[in-house]
Amino acid sequence: MDLLFLRAARTRSAPVRASLCVMGLGQMMCRQWVKGLLYLAALGAFLAYLVIMGGADIAGFFTLGTHEADPWLGTAGDDSILMLLRGLLAFGIIIAVILLYRSNLRDILELDRNIKAGLTPPPFVKSLRSFFDRKFYVAALALPIAGVIVFNVVPIVFMILIAFTNYGGNNVPPALVDWVGLENFGRILALTEIKDTFFRILIWNVIWALSSTFLNYFGGLGLALLLNKKCVKGRRFWRMFPILAYAVPGFITLLAFKFLFSYGGPINYYLTQAGRNAVGFLDIDAGIKARLIGLGVNAWTSIPTSMLLATGILSNMREDLYEAASIDGASKWQQFLKITLPFVVFSTTPVLITNFIGNFNNFGVFYFLRGGLYMDGYFLASDTDLLINWLYNLSIDNNYYSIGAAVSLIIFIITSVISLSVYVRSNAYRKEDTFR
Amino acid sequence: MKQIIRMTALALALLLLCAGCGRGSSAPTGAGTAPVGPSEPIVLHILENDTAKAEGYLDALIAAFNEAYAGKGIQAVDANMDEYTDLALNGPYGYGPDVLYQANDQLMKYAEDRHILPLAIEELDCYESTPEAAWDAFRLSVDGSVYFCGVPVNIQEPMLFYREDMMPENWQAEWDDDQNGTADFFENWCDLYAYSASIRESDPARYGFMASLNNLYLASPFMLSYGSYIFGEKDGAVDPSDVGFSAGNAVNGLSALRQFAALMNEGCIDDTITLNRYEKLADGSYFCTVSTPDTYSLFVGNLANHYMGEGMGEDEARARAEANLKMIELPAKMPADGDLSQDSAGAQWVDTVVMGGVNGYGISSYTKHREACMEFVDFATGYEMIQTRVEMLGIAPTRQDVAQVSGDTADMIFDSLASGRICLMPSVKAVDQIWTPTQTVMGDVAKDPFRAAQGEPQKYGTTEALQAALETIDKNVYDAIHTLAG
Repeated sequence: MDLLFLRAARTRSAPVRASLCVMGLGQMMCRQWVKGLLYLAALGAFLAYLVIMGGADIAGFFTLGTHEADPWLGTAGDDSILMLLRGLLAFGIIIAVILLYRSNLRDILELDRNIKAGLTPPPFVKSLRSFFDRKFYVAALALPIAGVIVFNVVPIVFMILIAFTNYGGNNVPPALVDWVGLENFGRILALTEIKDTFFRILIWNVIWALSSTFLNYFGGLGLALLLNKKCVKGRRFWRMFPILAYAVPGFITLLAFKFLFSYGGPINYYLTQAGRNAVGFLDIDAGIKARLIGLGVNAWTSIPTSMLLATGILSNMREDLYEAASIDGASKWQQFLKITLPFVVFSTTPVLITNFIGNFNNFGVFYFLRGGLYMDGYFLASDTDLLINWLYNLSIDNNYYSIGAAVSLIIFIITSVISLSVYVRSNAYRKEDTFR
Repeated sequence: MKQIIRMTALALALLLLCAGCGRGSSAPTGAGTAPVGPSEPIVLHILENDTAKAEGYLDALIAAFNEAYAGKGIQAVDANMDEYTDLALNGPYGYGPDVLYQANDQLMKYAEDRHILPLAIEELDCYESTPEAAWDAFRLSVDGSVYFCGVPVNIQEPMLFYREDMMPENWQAEWDDDQNGTADFFENWCDLYAYSASIRESDPARYGFMASLNNLYLASPFMLSYGSYIFGEKDGAVDPSDVGFSAGNAVNGLSALRQFAALMNEGCIDDTITLNRYEKLADGSYFCTVSTPDTYSLFVGNLANHYMGEGMGEDEARARAEANLKMIELPAKMPADGDLSQDSAGAQWVDTVVMGGVNGYGISSYTKHREACMEFVDFATGYEMIQTRVEMLGIAPTRQDVAQVSGDTADMIFDSLASGRICLMPSVKAVDQIWTPTQTVMGDVAKDPFRAAQGEPQKYGTTEALQAALETIDKNVYDAIHTLAG
């Protein structure tokens, strides 16, 4: 236990020792009835929860079930995945109660100190008001943090836990699932086919993420700069087109491009009409063609976002900087490199990182353009699949959920390391006040 | 001290009060028989396919059932779910339909994990009139015992669709060597190849037989006619560890596929022809193509539109389209050596084998009304409802008594099923893993003739290369099923 607990244990005060043993008891001894009862009720509810279901949920988390259901006979059994979730909830509740217990100790120590100093403890409502006043940020952030925990943290932890089970294949409810430790990671690295496929796709995935982020970012910036030029007539009109491309749902655009490049599509139609042979832009032999088309199509759907962002940032540029640079003899290219680019990059580094992660995990482009191919040398994947597509093939198409979870955990680690290391080295982080 | 004792007593009293607030009982996850009050009717959620819903058959079925069972307190309603809703994911948690209509491979993948119930089929009205081959599509062996987990309704196979007015004028003289009144190119693949070649020669913009050759179901004659199989059998049950696309003389079939691709265009490599076949058949670009019987109305509709575009009235166009559009089985004979270019007169033949499926009803293991569901299935597979289904949807019924009066198509398909010319999709969930590996290799082989036209080296010019391609399919299917199965 931590310092707070040791401090409370060393205190020779009956109320403190009472609260140390039973949450809220000391507060009641100090006639803080409401607060004490609330702490006590929380403890009671927790113990009741442990007796009624919490204990079984924690045990179930470790066993993941012992009795298999038989739907034919209508006999109930254990649902391993539900048990995993309920175990997760039980640990969450235990952590919440530990935090509450710490707040109970902190409160009784402060109460004891105040009483010894001859101060009268404030009534419950007044102390509540005082708390909200002193720690408004806690009250304001409580709900969003709860939302983040429920909708972000729990699914991520659940996915991480799945990576350590044998969930998938033949082990899906009503069959029972077991913990298998690091076996899934071992399979990814030990089975030759899977290992080779993983590293091949990983290399392509990194190249894809870097090049598509570069292309989209500078494509958007270039377009924004072009449409910012005063000499361009009808700028609002021209800006409308990228926005239209942005407004069309992504998968519709991708399916349209798939048709465009298919053998029955208009490009091949005109090629054959012109006496040329049809080109398999996206077929099994496409190779680099399919990858370049993917980059282009992704640029088509993403450049409008970058353009809108850059347009907003460019509107805040100070004209006098360019005037001064012109007087000093700087060329347009030098002005771009020394003034525009640093300003835009500084403002958009976090967006750049999210774009990189978005592109790293860009599922739609190759799923819609070139899904349904398993190539030689790849295990359940093709040469254009990204890790996220492979993950889909494994976990959804082939029901290998645990292997899919292990792959997604690896993706998570890679993207986290890259994005965090880039961010902490960026000017946006290190020189936060520079452009203010 | 007294104060501590008093407070401890109060705390204990509160704890006991909280703990005694109710010991919740966890609901069983398995299905039981829910008690139904006398005034509360049993409601069955029925999942049918989209065509049956769109054509109004499901409404007719539900109305007829509800009328017949009004006095018995059973009521059927549309489950209002996606036709491929995942029973394995939703069923255990109380969602999903009570009764579902699916193809045998879809239905039986649920049976393996016990998500649908084994049925006492002998009690059903359709039991006697449905052939054993159709029942076998729903047979499941578990620990030496045999169960039937579905009730057959109709059978499907890829069929040949063509425009009668595009037959050569002199076909009786030129294309009916045996003078049996059926053109040779509808009887054997060599003559279909030869006629397709003659069409291309006379007009390069027109084609004979056209199909997406990367589609295992539609191009199954090339993959299954030469002794190959999908999964083997072990102890009377399907054995997914034995993948047999490369077995027997399968390489001859793949060679024939490669040969026929040269008479098509690049659209045969992907799903282009599957998408444009209705329109291209209607405008005369394709002489014939392959599809399933349930798409008949789409072909007729497109042809009628084509006639209306030429200035014909709607009724006349429809009548002419129905008279002109023909649906028959694929040619029954393939050359034994896989060489489609040989003269049919001296050719040795093997029977064409196509992939087929049996659609039927299954009952969810998670239904609370098992007996009522059985009543519904018995009603829906009864003579009258199957006859209505035939009339409204044009299916080929598995009930022989209905098939005998419903027309030639059902008879044809039945004969093929009985003679082994239809290879039913295996009723195991491993069948999900066959499609992508076959699609990849079949598309790659179909592309080979076009590689030559583009000056690229061909990949499948030798028997060894084709055999290796088939073995790649076997390996990929096996890997997809077993490598990570644990």
